[in-house]
Amino acid sequence: MARYGMLIDTTKCIGCYACRTACQRQNDLLPEQDFIRFERKEVGAYPNVHVENVPLQCMHCEDAPCAQVCPTGAAHMGADGIVEVDEGRCIGCLYCMAACPYQVRVRNPQTGTVDKCRFCTVSAEQSGTKMCTCVEACLTGARIFGDLDDPDSELVREIARTNAHPIAGDLTQSKIFYVR
Amino acid sequence: MTFEPVWGVIIGLYLFLAGLGGGAYAASAYLRLKMPDCVHMIRYGRVIAPVCVIVGLVLLMVDATAGFHNPLRFALLLTNFGSVMTWGVVFLALFVVIALVVAVMDLLGRGLKVPVWLDVAGAVLGICVCVYTGCLLGVAKTFPLWNNALLPVLFLVSAVSTGMSAVLLAAIVGAPREFDRVTGFKKFHFFLPVAELFLVASLLFVTASNAESAGAASVANLMSGNCAVAFWLVFILIGLIVPTVIEWRVLFFSSVKEEESPGGHLASGVSDVCILIGGCALRLLVLAAAMPITIVQPWI
Repeated sequence: MARYGMLIDTTKCIGCYACRTACQRQNDLLPEQDFIRFERKEVGAYPNVHVENVPLQCMHCEDAPCAQVCPTGAAHMGADGIVEVDEGRCIGCLYCMAACPYQVRVRNPQTGTVDKCRFCTVSAEQSGTKMCTCVEACLTGARIFGDLDDPDSELVREIARTNAHPIAGDLTQSKIFYVR
Repeated sequence: MTFEPVWGVIIGLYLFLAGLGGGAYAASAYLRLKMPDCVHMIRYGRVIAPVCVIVGLVLLMVDATAGFHNPLRFALLLTNFGSVMTWGVVFLALFVVIALVVAVMDLLGRGLKVPVWLDVAGAVLGICVCVYTGCLLGVAKTFPLWNNALLPVLFLVSAVSTGMSAVLLAAIVGAPREFDRVTGFKKFHFFLPVAELFLVASLLFVTASNAESAGAASVANLMSGNCAVAFWLVFILIGLIVPTVIEWRVLFFSSVKEEESPGGHLASGVSDVCILIGGCALRLLVLAAAMPITIVQPWI
């Protein structure tokens, strides 16, 4: 069993939205469904100012608040530590959207169901494509995907080397790590 | 990113109606135990309760689009007992069944034959529904305005207040003689909006001091932001202060003759309508004003 996670290096991110577009294409999303949400922040003091781009997405929390509140079990902790949504169980009550501290869950306006980053597991299982198309799409190599339980993986080594942390500290037990 | 509230007017109305229904049933059960000869008021409560809760539940199901299009999925609502919503479904289902049975018995002229235990069970479940509407929001850590122990108490007091108001309003129209006799009931009802004023003030103080800046942002939304006009005019003034002043005047500083005159009844009726407007405004405002910690965040 793996425990999948990701590293996002905001110092490399140029805010080009390539990851978001690739994600939408890979997962066959509607134009208004964005599993990756960009926040921008001005950092520093004049004249040394720059804009920090922070792509936010499902953090695949070990203690997923969405799964705790989901009344039908549609949102649940799946295999390999991936928080999954069983669309066939979702009634669209939006309780998970209220519970998610990162506000990264997206309602499908056509079906009323709620979805979010799946680490591309659905397309990987159905058509054997690689997981996390956003990693491949990133022009600057800002994203690394891998197994947090494998000490030899590039992900674990880079998290240690860059001192990456979850975006909001211990707000939840996030599996996405950020370099700021 | 601008933040759109997750839940809108439909869920606000549902929270209001569910609380009103639960409160109305509890009020009617209290009257049944204390003043069983007020048969009309007891009946009004027993009819208002299931009607309001069922209308609220229909609104809820329409709002849950994916379930509305695939109704069998609603059966899955009983799978995660770690979720407050699942407990709410249990309370609502049991409550609606009891409230409907009691309402039908009463309308068939067998109101006094309703077993006391059934009325007590209905009242307890009604209170559970009222508290659940607050806890539903209360467990969402994302929103400091919701994620505190005061909100369920505030919703409970408001729900009982609106439920009693609905019963009293029906009594003014349909059974004014009974309305004149339930003085203890009316005096208890007077103190509920007063308690609400203190609860709202406490909620705002506590939320504004929340470690996350979203707490202060939510309070600012209510007191001076987008929701300020509705908060001060509709909720605080019309919903709490006006009924408090009217009832205070009618109950404590009027002669019995004045209190029981058509003018006195009209004043009480206006106060009860105000309570209902305020109760509805409270639910809508709490949904609309809450800001999530990750939109107003120190770390982004």
